[in-house]
Amino acid sequence: MTRILLSDKLDNCVARWRKAGLTVIGPVKKETFSSYATVENAAEFDLGLVMPDRSIKGLFFPQTEPMVHYSIKKQAIETRDFTPPSEKRIIFGARPCDASGLAIDDPLFGWDYKDDFWFQRRNETVIVTIACTKADDFCMCTSLKLAPDSTKGSDILLRPLQNNRGWQVEELTDRGREAFKEIADLLQDGSEPAAAVAVVPEKFNLDACVAWLQNPENFDSTFWKEISMRCIGCASCTFLCPTCHCFDFQDEGDTFTGIRRKNWDSCSFALFTMHTSGHNPRATQSARWRQRIMHKFNYFPGKFNVNSCSGCGRCSRQCPVDMGITETLQAISTLQP
Amino acid sequence: MTIQEKYKARVKELLSTGAVKMVIGYKPGSTAERRRPLFMRSPEEADQLVLDTACIANLAGYLVAEGLLSDDKRVGIFLKPDGIRSINILAAEAQLNIDQIVVLGFDIDGQEVNALEGESAGDFSALIESIKDHAPEAPRNPLIEQIEQMNPIQRFDFWQTEFSRCIKCYACRQACPMCYCRRCIVDSNQPQWINTSSHTLGNLEWNIIRAFHLSGRCVGCGNCDRACPVNIPLRLINARMGQEVLGAFDHFAGMSETQEPVLASFKKDDSETFIL
Ligand code: SF4
Ligand code: SF4
Ligand code: SF4
Repeated sequence: MTRILLSDKLDNCVARWRKAGLTVIGPVKKETFSSYATVENAAEFDLGLVMPDRSIKGLFFPQTEPMVHYSIKKQAIETRDFTPPSEKRIIFGARPCDASGLAIDDPLFGWDYKDDFWFQRRNETVIVTIACTKADDFCMCTSLKLAPDSTKGSDILLRPLQNNRGWQVEELTDRGREAFKEIADLLQDGSEPAAAVAVVPEKFNLDACVAWLQNPENFDSTFWKEISMRCIGCASCTFLCPTCHCFDFQDEGDTFTGIRRKNWDSCSFALFTMHTSGHNPRATQSARWRQRIMHKFNYFPGKFNVNSCSGCGRCSRQCPVDMGITETLQAISTLQP
Repeated sequence: MTIQEKYKARVKELLSTGAVKMVIGYKPGSTAERRRPLFMRSPEEADQLVLDTACIANLAGYLVAEGLLSDDKRVGIFLKPDGIRSINILAAEAQLNIDQIVVLGFDIDGQEVNALEGESAGDFSALIESIKDHAPEAPRNPLIEQIEQMNPIQRFDFWQTEFSRCIKCYACRQACPMCYCRRCIVDSNQPQWINTSSHTLGNLEWNIIRAFHLSGRCVGCGNCDRACPVNIPLRLINARMGQEVLGAFDHFAGMSETQEPVLASFKKDDSETFIL
């Protein structure tokens, strides 16, 4: 016997959660574009998407965020911190790769400095993930040792029923259990079997890639230039990526008063490493692409023991010149370490 | 012989005789519908070449990649008429020496790919002339018609909603062959001309500035809106601006390598008493 949530109860659940003061968020498709967006009722969800175009990242680490207000007076500089806004949220219908992405970034946002903006949102958000029963050509969670029903980063995992009428409920954390108490009477016991998860063929051998990347001799390999020649240095891949987390500080205002904001930044940009002198240690696009790959599969795991990629495939899916992590790692896994 | 085979032979000849050091074309992509840019430096690499109706990306932007043309050697490139217009503009704006470019021209007409006769950009001037002449009656995107019916407030709301999705990845800029500045105005922070944050104001500033910088320069290739990861119909703005510039100044972007850039010229008999 497992607990079952039937699809036709979902609208009631949304109403319950909203009544309990939670903002309800889920995959929503508007005309040509999909993202995780706030909803008022379950009809707004689009649970049939392989995944929303935009990843879940922006809900925890927004593209722009005010940090501090400054005003420079004759005698002193006055500052006023912005505090992370408090909002209790539930994300219904997250994808396992998106939820894992958040768990991958947790150590990053907490290792030397604890980023309150990130952790407050993490602590106040319940993530209800639905296991994938379909995937597309770009999905590659299995190549990253994750799975279409991976529980990493999720508070609840729902497994779609074979008969398509609802989901099996797996409660994973206290935060998840708490949110599901609100709807306890809308669940029922059942023995309906879960549908098979999506088949996601393994696209490359991750261990072989990592071994190649760890060999210092390969840092200067001509491979980098060949594989990234067509990269136009837009930042779509990094901005859509659920784990890419680089940011920049920008002051908005004038010399005397203004707001310092934290904005997304990207290693794909030439400006990212440009020095004031004009010298750029990553002067070419191939050096930037190498950085992205090295960071994800060599430096980041070196520090946090986990790859900075959850296999969502958005980088390859959306790249205007049809590049991406998949192609690069596929090519690397055929090279001798 | 299919057009693809014909061009493959041509590329091999260009590379084996040393007439060009590289040819930029297309090869199969990660799905059946996708094509990716291909850089051919040896005749063997031309075996990967594809030329079909999926080859829609404008490749002209690669020509201004740092250092590519600095050795005075010639480079071949597959271009549709919009791409040929792009290189005319790049030449007119002193970004490249057009004599270094060998054009492998083609056009997509519905389900067919046709070869275009010619080798240097100038060889296609009659073709571009006729595209200009037919521009006023060319089919327009229905969405433009719809936007034109709106009053200014509705129109502003429409674009505000579209731009609200922008994440300032600058893929539009990077994909655009006409956006070649090594340092874009939005990258400048001392002083900062444009708000770099991706919020309502910043997004609006960015997209409006870009629309202005592209007016009379956009060739309508669509690289920008295909690249935009949040699917903003960017090409519409530039198409509409192009229409204005054509009406007001009889300027059609990319007619020739000597065409005076509309944003950088002023006529004494201009009907306006000020310049922007
Ligand atoms: S890999 Fe693709 S998406 Fe990423 S920066 Fe390069 S062109 Fe843009
Ligand atoms: S490509 Fe789209 S999202 Fe990116 S900066 Fe341009 S308009 Fe904004
Ligand atoms: S603005 Fe867009 S459509 Fe116009 S030339 Fe640039 S990429 Fe092509």
